[in-house]
Amino acid sequence: MAVPYLKVENLVKKFGPFTALNGVNLAVYPGEVHALLGDNGAGKSTLIKTLAGVHRPTSGQLYIEGKPVNFRSPRDATAAGIGTVYQDLALNQLMSVTRNFFMGRELKGPLGILRMAEMDRIAHDEMAKIGINFSDPTQAVGTMSGGQRQTLAIARAIYFGAKVLILDEPTSALGQKQQMEVLKTIQRVKKRGDIAIIFITHNEIHSQLVGDRFTFLALGEVIGAGKAGELSHDEIRRLMAGGTEMKDLAGELAAI
Amino acid sequence: MSDRSEADRLRQESTLQRLLRRPEIGAFSVMVVIVVALAFASDFKAFNPLGLKNNIAIIAQYGIIATGAAALMIAGEFDLSIGSMIGFTGMIMAMVLKYGFTPLGIPPGLPVAAFMIAMTAALCLGWLIGTIVVRSGLSSFIVSLAFLFFLRGATEASFRIINQSTQISGLPDFKQESWFAEMLGGEVFGWIYDIWFTLGGNLNRKGEQWVSGFDARFLWWLVIAGAAWFVLSRTQIGNWIYATGDDKDAARANGVPVNKVKIGLFMFTAFCACMFAACQVFDTNTADAAKGNLLELFAIAIAVVGGTLMTGGFGSILGVAFGAITVGLVANAVFFIPWIDGSWFRVFVGTILLAAVFANERIRKRITGGI
Repeated sequence: MAVPYLKVENLVKKFGPFTALNGVNLAVYPGEVHALLGDNGAGKSTLIKTLAGVHRPTSGQLYIEGKPVNFRSPRDATAAGIGTVYQDLALNQLMSVTRNFFMGRELKGPLGILRMAEMDRIAHDEMAKIGINFSDPTQAVGTMSGGQRQTLAIARAIYFGAKVLILDEPTSALGQKQQMEVLKTIQRVKKRGDIAIIFITHNEIHSQLVGDRFTFLALGEVIGAGKAGELSHDEIRRLMAGGTEMKDLAGELAAI
Repeated sequence: MSDRSEADRLRQESTLQRLLRRPEIGAFSVMVVIVVALAFASDFKAFNPLGLKNNIAIIAQYGIIATGAAALMIAGEFDLSIGSMIGFTGMIMAMVLKYGFTPLGIPPGLPVAAFMIAMTAALCLGWLIGTIVVRSGLSSFIVSLAFLFFLRGATEASFRIINQSTQISGLPDFKQESWFAEMLGGEVFGWIYDIWFTLGGNLNRKGEQWVSGFDARFLWWLVIAGAAWFVLSRTQIGNWIYATGDDKDAARANGVPVNKVKIGLFMFTAFCACMFAACQVFDTNTADAAKGNLLELFAIAIAVVGGTLMTGGFGSILGVAFGAITVGLVANAVFFIPWIDGSWFRVFVGTILLAAVFANERIRKRITGGI
């Protein structure tokens, strides 16, 4: 079996008396989408922030291609190939697509002069690769749709060397059609074969459309995991709801 | 129908349409109206050789400090200490010229030393203001307001303690001997007036050449505004400045050194204020504790009239130049149109400022998808 690009072993994260993550295991493979599901407060955000180098684990170990690593800062995580696309996308609305794409990592010549034509071309090509149809890299990000912005942030992370792409609820706060665009983008990235994707979502339908592996979190622990095909719809739905059966929920509702 | 995609919703525009949507267009239109109106109302006196020189003198003064204010506003901060910084640095220069600077063993009458000491002080103060703003997280409005009072008070008190009077006048004309003083307070672009004379204009009553050149600050304005335009639109630092002002958290997340950018720009506004003061001191050979009073507000007003967003992230140095020309011409209009009351100038500035704020807000909403 292939070596996972990123492996998480027995990860524990405590904030003072509060245990946010209690022994989480996770493995993500290149060319696969690993759907990370769970309710609010399940520990999804803490997990991705630990992977992204924002938090340091209390105990447990991260491995990149089998080698143990310690991230002291987000910069370390980025250097190790972990690209995190947060919900706010870290985009500037008033600036052009290209200027956002290269923000903080501009291509420059002598005197810090921007190689604008080259940057325009790269931004356009990289976004076209993962399937965004847009014509003008000088247009302001504020004029783009939510799905286009999501694609911009993903293309940027990939271009700057992400091997693991962490997508933090990329389909929430979008309309139906935009959600489909984002799922298509995820599918295209997966097809490249060299990038592992961690797809965080509330939406079990979206996770089943693109997911290859599933991990369900509840109250800081993994309550279920498996490959696509191994888990039935009902099982996924039950885990999604934090391990409660649908008929129990129906019963609770009926009792009100 | 099914072939339509998101990209098709952004209308392709012609060059003219793009030109009309540029942020400078409002400032440019107002400027054209003012130039034409002033030309006719003053019977073209505003643009005769002396009128042009005097108009450009004040336009350049406004332009220098407005460029600094605009660059800082694009990064999302304000500097209200610009006017006091002009008074403060002007005082330092005049004092060092008159009394020397004993701690460094500098004798009186050295323009280069006077300028260097004042500029060092300005850059240090700019760094201090910027550092306080980024470290404390306080609004730059309040921090720089504190320095507005602090520096003006320090200027007046120092004048009284050292000089017994709040002004220095009667300094020798350093331009005669020092190329450095001439560079800051002398004349530039004499060839324009020479050509004008050769072509049969630029004559005084005796039929000799009337005006010999523009104030040196014209050149300094062009240099400062040109450099600011270049940095903002063409360089990595420019990208960082826009990114900082637009959304500093997004900028920081992408590795932009947000705090360094801001501190650097507070130093730039202090630099601009010091250049303003240097041109004034070496031109007139005087200094006064009241110099630069209220000019920070004009600088900010001109930056806004030029299309700079109050909220940061958007603005154009070219637009600010148009704004400086507009406000400078109207400030001077009273000298060319005798029947006009000079106080209308402020009414005018207030009016175009308000109009510009509404226009800029429209631009912001259009870009961010509000319209």
